[in-house]
Amino acid sequence: MSAPSARTGYVTILRRDLLLAWRRRGEAAFPVLYALIVATLFPFALGPEGALLARIAAGVVLVTVLLAMLLALDGLFRPDVEDGSLEQLLLAPQPLGLLLAAKILAHWLTTALPLLLASPLLAAMLHLPVAVLPVLLVALALATPLMSLLGALVVALTVGTRRSGMLLALMLLPLMVPVVIFAAGAVSAAQQGLPFIAPLAWLGAALVLALVLAPAACAAALRIALDA
Amino acid sequence: MDKFLAMGGYAVYVWPAYAAFFVVFAADLIATAARRRRVLKELRARIARQSARRSP
Amino acid sequence: MNVHSSPTLWNRLVLWYHQMGSPPYFYAFAGRWRPWFIAATLITAAIGLYGGLLLAPPDYQQGDAYRIIFIHVPCAWMSLFTYAFMAGCGLVGLVWRVKLAEILAMEAAPIGAAFTFVTLVTGSLWGKPMWGAWWTWDARLTSELVLLFLYLGVIGLYHAFEDTRQGARAAAFLALIGVVNLPIVHYSVVWWNTLHQGTTVQLFGPSRITWSMLWPLLTMALSTHLYLGWSLLGRARVALLELEGGKDWARAIALKEASRG
Repeated sequence: MSAPSARTGYVTILRRDLLLAWRRRGEAAFPVLYALIVATLFPFALGPEGALLARIAAGVVLVTVLLAMLLALDGLFRPDVEDGSLEQLLLAPQPLGLLLAAKILAHWLTTALPLLLASPLLAAMLHLPVAVLPVLLVALALATPLMSLLGALVVALTVGTRRSGMLLALMLLPLMVPVVIFAAGAVSAAQQGLPFIAPLAWLGAALVLALVLAPAACAAALRIALDA
Repeated sequence: MDKFLAMGGYAVYVWPAYAAFFVVFAADLIATAARRRRVLKELRARIARQSARRSP
Repeated sequence: MNVHSSPTLWNRLVLWYHQMGSPPYFYAFAGRWRPWFIAATLITAAIGLYGGLLLAPPDYQQGDAYRIIFIHVPCAWMSLFTYAFMAGCGLVGLVWRVKLAEILAMEAAPIGAAFTFVTLVTGSLWGKPMWGAWWTWDARLTSELVLLFLYLGVIGLYHAFEDTRQGARAAAFLALIGVVNLPIVHYSVVWWNTLHQGTTVQLFGPSRITWSMLWPLLTMALSTHLYLGWSLLGRARVALLELEGGKDWARAIALKEASRG
């Protein structure tokens, strides 16, 4: 009996994770709800003037989405560690990086995509100029997969530890700084009428690089953290 | 001497900077020394327990 | 090439490398060398501080406030040097599973964090009279802050594991990720700074620093390097005792130290 191909493994993992997420589809709303709450609090703290809110809108949306993703990140491997299916993945004949890529994609689809869909609403609440909205969406579409990939790398390292949300945030911050700078930089450049393609191109380049490298690095991190 | 301590009017900035420098590294050394004492004490307690178990 | 043509030297180097990997041997070695590091650190610090605080003339622009440079800049250099050292040891530990390399990497992390912290505090104390603010989002300071977070992440991850060696390996991996990340952070912060035309007052531009200011600075840089040796050897000795508590050599030392008092 020969092992199923890597492609089959990838599709199986993706389908399994999506099915599991679908069974608990109520939970997918949590990050969106969290982002909504945070975005609502900003006008209360800063006052309702449209001009001020418009100036900070893009940054607030970006940081809010980042925090909401951070909140959901702990769930990427935790259930699989608890029910032992992660150990099975480590032993599978298919390349681990590829299987993890499927898990990361499923996680992005179930947590980041709802946030991405909700972000026009958040932007509207904060008076972001409509003309800039497409730039924000493109920036988010490039930044959120990057956050998922880099986040997975960090979560993989903490898999063998006790629950530690604060540590996760501390480890993730240095990785997120360039992502936030370029994503917010693109939107604020667009808002000022400056060319915004360059920062978006940098984000795209980083995303391509992360797509190739992060799953393999994530696999190495997981093997170290579980001492396999 | 007073002129040295005054640091040309910048004493409020210069001396706290030097104080931070020395305090941080002194704390580093003291913490290591305390940790060494604790590790040795625990090790000796472990040896005492084990020899007590071997020859009651 | 030269090394291979003289096998005795090469063999001696290999032997030394393997001996260093043995905990009791390194423990004794560190114990022998540590006093020299202590003495050298204190002497160079005394000379450097004397030269910097008393002999060097006041700066024509900054007056005496610039004297913070003699601790700020060496600490900033050391914050990066220690990170490189930590990541290098971490790599050796990950690839060849050398226990001592893991220990050195993990014991270097708090020292590096201390250097980074001092850099930030002294930079802030220097910035107040020069920029008029305790903190500016200048590229150097911001990168240094991110470096502090990197160190704290490594230390936190190391302590989050029940198993010390597993924690050391995971934290070493995080340190290596940081090596890739740190230049990216620095250049993105520089770009971010040019985008937001902030207050980018350079503390030291291309100004020519005179010899009477330079030699105390270099002496202090040497002193901080030696301090890394001092602190690291002491920390590594304790960590070895902690990790090897079940072994005979560690027990012998514990009993010997007790009789000494």
